[in-house]
Amino acid sequence: MLAEYYPVLLFMLVGTAIGVVPMALGRTVSLLLGTHRPDAEKNSPYECGFEAFEDARMKFDVRYYLVAILFILFDLEIAFLFPWAVVLNEIGLFGFLSMMVFLGILVVGFFYEWRKGALDWD
Amino acid sequence: MVDWILTRPDAWFGPVWGPAVFDTTANLAFIVAIVVPLLLCVAYLTLWERKFIGWIQIRIGPNRVGPLGLLQPIADGIKLLLKEIIVPTQASTQLFFVAPVMVLMPALAAWAVIPFAPEVVLADVNAGLLYLMAMTSLGVYGVIIAGWASNSKYAFLGAMRSAAQMVSYELAMGFSLVVVLMVSGSLNLSDIVNGQGRGSFAAKGLNFLSWNWLPLLPIVVVYFVSGVAETNRAPFDVVEGESEIVAGHMVEYSGMAFAMFFLGEYANMILISTLTAVMFFGGWQAPIDSALFNWLPPFGWLALKVFVVVTLFLWFRATFPRYRYDQIMRLGWKIFIPLTLAWIAVIGIWMQTPWSLWR
Amino acid sequence: MFETAIFYCFAAVLLFAALRVITARNPVHAALYLVLSFFTAAAIWMLLRAEFLAITLVLVYVGAVMVLFLFVVMMLDINLEQLREGFWSYLPLGATVGILMAFEMALMIGGRYFGFSEAPLKESAAGYSNTKALGRLLYTEYAFAFEIAAVILLVAIVAAVALTLRRRKGVKTQNPAEQTRVRRADRVELVSMPAERDR
Repeated sequence: MLAEYYPVLLFMLVGTAIGVVPMALGRTVSLLLGTHRPDAEKNSPYECGFEAFEDARMKFDVRYYLVAILFILFDLEIAFLFPWAVVLNEIGLFGFLSMMVFLGILVVGFFYEWRKGALDWD
Repeated sequence: MVDWILTRPDAWFGPVWGPAVFDTTANLAFIVAIVVPLLLCVAYLTLWERKFIGWIQIRIGPNRVGPLGLLQPIADGIKLLLKEIIVPTQASTQLFFVAPVMVLMPALAAWAVIPFAPEVVLADVNAGLLYLMAMTSLGVYGVIIAGWASNSKYAFLGAMRSAAQMVSYELAMGFSLVVVLMVSGSLNLSDIVNGQGRGSFAAKGLNFLSWNWLPLLPIVVVYFVSGVAETNRAPFDVVEGESEIVAGHMVEYSGMAFAMFFLGEYANMILISTLTAVMFFGGWQAPIDSALFNWLPPFGWLALKVFVVVTLFLWFRATFPRYRYDQIMRLGWKIFIPLTLAWIAVIGIWMQTPWSLWR
Repeated sequence: MFETAIFYCFAAVLLFAALRVITARNPVHAALYLVLSFFTAAAIWMLLRAEFLAITLVLVYVGAVMVLFLFVVMMLDINLEQLREGFWSYLPLGATVGILMAFEMALMIGGRYFGFSEAPLKESAAGYSNTKALGRLLYTEYAFAFEIAAVILLVAIVAAVALTLRRRKGVKTQNPAEQTRVRRADRVELVSMPAERDR
């Protein structure tokens, strides 16, 4: 089993290298061959023509956290669905029904958030 | 000669490390054989995009660099290489350079488990589909880190939008993958492709009617549209909507650092297209099992399908106006998720009946 | 031999990342090091042949839970000085937990000397998939525990919505359903008036 995952590990390393090498190359080549004239305006964060008033890292709408929390919960649901889907033909009617009960309980939660307006963006 | 080469690792590194060195070299060779054509495809996809959208809008598209503009991507690459990489003064420098790598790495590493032809796959792992899900879920990090590290308001806004959008559509994608799993009974992508070649239609030679797209029709649409949203492509590209937040999380990037984001986005597009072809359109299989169709090798069929699907991405971009953010979230949460959940139940019940197609 | 070498590589990265989680000054850096330690922990699980669990760890913890963590530490303007103030008052509790964990780990690693035998790793047949093995048991034999998991998730959904959902006032959202339902009588009123003469 591990022998099959070894190429995956190698591929991740190669993928990282493909990200790092061109950037390092780009930094050196552009310094050597390109123009390089830094000034305060050019290096400041992008704004519509004025100086940045404050740090860009600000408080944010709570709705984004809600989406992230709901995402975790539904992602867990998917994690539960994966092994079920793979063996569905082997576990018979009982296995199928136990998942339907599971989904039924979670659909209740889904309806709750829908009716509460947690899925509305305004 | 071949024997001589094959025994070199053992001779040079001893019996303990020799096999490991041999394994590593062989795998690296295979990886290079995947990555180099992939990066070429990415480069030429950018050209094809400009040409194709040009034709749709009754323009010619790039035609100055080389014959038919064929050297355009190379010229673009050289230009990006020579451009200065600007690091904003208030940015976190280390994370600023980590972000592009975090976008590119998962987009490339996911290719490890894709089957290109029968028995031609780099890592024939049992949990291939699960691995793909894990890799696509990593893509969010590059975007969030880029937005935060730039310390610019536009970048931050873009990153937050994009993160919420990507995770929402990941759910829809995950649920539709569950449906595919139910009918194929395996997480291994080669098995999923082989499973599509069975059935009463395939027995008559009409392979394309046995593929997953027909019984899972709504799921194909959900999967592909979620894929478009997941890669932040038009019409779901509010993340980088140039008329409001300029380029979103990429606004502070220039030169090669920006090119990495670009590469990641296009590699992801090709990846989503390949997955659509593999899971719903029979992967490497020919649509009809006859001599007329079989002269094209399996890999050719896969490439053809991927090309058609990837062109759909471009067609969407040229056709649809951009969605509003609340519309995007409504589509993901209120239409796709209930639809896929319902379809899980439908297929599940279908499989319990005597008329099940997937015994 | 080769596997052992890979294990030590991952273990070194994991230790380094875990150390940085608690020593990094910037909370965002700390969260990102936590991502790295989850990822390497997944790799070590993989070395133990726990294929499904390892990838699910990446999928759920790295792909979902840490995204929420990052959202929180990036957007919540945390005042670092205030966080540091409580250090000494939390130290006794933290130290107790830490010592307990160190003790448990010592038991695991030195199990041989304390008389616990370690279960040897089972090398399984070629077609074996532990996702399938898990699926066969979880939905039939452990169906009850599985349904309890659903109830816990339901509670979590309700709690998340109840705790974080706030209605903002003065939003100018449009409701297309309402817009199309509008009748003429709701918007326009026709009044008949007698015609007037100028002269």
